Amino acid sequence: MSNPEQIARQGHATDHGERLPPDALTLVRTVLVREIKTVLLQPAFAALVAVVTVIVLGLAWSGGGVIGGYVPTIVDLLTPLEVLVPLLAVALGYRAVRNDERRGELEILATYPVTAWQLVAGIYLGRAFGVVLAVTVPLLIVMVPVAIVGGVTSLVYATHSGADSPWLFLRFVVLTVLFALVLLAVAMAVSALVSTTRTAVAAATVTLVVLLFGLDLAIAYGFASGFVGESGLIRSLAISPLSAYRGLVLETAVAVTSVGGPQTASPLASLAGLLLWGAGSLAIATRALGR
Amino acid sequence: MTSEQSVVLEASDVVRSYGAVTVLEGLSLALRRGTVTALIGPNGSGKTTLIRTLVGLDEPTEGELTYCGPDAVRPIGYLPQQPSFRPGQRVRDTLAFYASLVGETEADAVAQLERVGLADAADREIDALSGGMTRLVGVAQATIGSPPVVILDEPASGLDPSMRVHIFDVIRALAADGAAVLVSSHDLALVERSADRVVLLDEGAIVRDGAPDALCAALGVGSLLEAFESSIAAEAGTVRVQGETG
Repeated sequence: MSNPEQIARQGHATDHGERLPPDALTLVRTVLVREIKTVLLQPAFAALVAVVTVIVLGLAWSGGGVIGGYVPTIVDLLTPLEVLVPLLAVALGYRAVRNDERRGELEILATYPVTAWQLVAGIYLGRAFGVVLAVTVPLLIVMVPVAIVGGVTSLVYATHSGADSPWLFLRFVVLTVLFALVLLAVAMAVSALVSTTRTAVAAATVTLVVLLFGLDLAIAYGFASGFVGESGLIRSLAISPLSAYRGLVLETAVAVTSVGGPQTASPLASLAGLLLWGAGSLAIATRALGR
Repeated sequence: MTSEQSVVLEASDVVRSYGAVTVLEGLSLALRRGTVTALIGPNGSGKTTLIRTLVGLDEPTEGELTYCGPDAVRPIGYLPQQPSFRPGQRVRDTLAFYASLVGETEADAVAQLERVGLADAADREIDALSGGMTRLVGVAQATIGSPPVVILDEPASGLDPSMRVHIFDVIRALAADGAAVLVSSHDLALVERSADRVVLLDEGAIVRDGAPDALCAALGVGSLLEAFESSIAAEAGTVRVQGETG
């Protein structure tokens, strides 16, 4: 987004323009509120949350996880969510910037005292509100049947290796939300970079495929060809958002219930990988809007 | 009106090129407070490029733009050629959003709607408005924050005669309130009636500049349309394409 600040100023105070511009946080909040309204006013949004809830409940029930308890439910849901969450994030994020650009609203906004980073922050946080709802509501609902018919649980998981616990499931929910927020940032970067809606759809699809399969395949190829050594494999999984998410869930919400066993991922590296993907994508979106 | 102090936006020797094609060729223009400047010219003459450059959306390849108006939260208000707003929201909410970006309230936004005569549509959904009403919302948006410069790209395009007259009345009112208004239009009759000054652009250069009456008198013609026809390089019915037409 270009800005009239490019125009040289020789301002001289007169009777006009006594008002000061709002501060940065107020501007971010203003954009954020509009974004939340946009998400909530979409009739499809409630339907989306309902469909995801039905899918998640169906998967958990049919896989037997509900009967088994919270950790079995996590295991049942992990792989389907690796596909479902990216779809959700892209669906809510790929047009976030592109539609404003197509309507010419970004050019109008360029005449207001709002910067590219404030716009990106407001749009991202607003869309994140929708993503968090769409992820947490179904997962929290699935906890209800697990609590009613699930296996033996302990509310003091932290001191009991091998025990099932709703806290483990809540940890899974938090990690899934984190994964979704990172992918939303990626989708927003794509939305800010592309120049037409059709390109946005195509670019979002390509991004999805690369994130879901490409990076994992690249790591597998690197390992098979010897480029990635055995010792570095666990940390290299952090390069892929999908592997990073899977690794975090397995290490912090599943493997902790068993004694021993091989380490499946480096939680710190995986967390850093996800945060880098998210921050990098938002930086790219800000840069693209500032063009 | 003609004092140096009344200039609020000045373009000096502005060149705008896209690769090998030069769309604006060393153009200078000063917009003055309290006046309506009409930008006219044939299709492809560079009107929209000049407007985008003045607004700050496109950087000039050469030359410079100087804003020398009063300090303002929003120095330049802008209406694009095809205004469009986020669907699913009421007119009131749409304008309130823009108003809040300059520290104004929803009441201020509604006041701008009243100024363009659209207060009754405040609670309508924005995507349920006609093209003319959407343009009026766009004009209201361009005036939010009371910018000292208001630039409107073909605000009356595609509208019925009464709506066109209404939009030009609003433009005159803006100038009466002290704004420097630049408006591009193909409606030469309304331009002749409403503008203090006419700038005729052809092939990226200003070929005529002055008050409508003065222009007509200088060329010995009876109307702005005749002045237009006698000033442009293209033959009737052809469009000169810069970089292509010899």
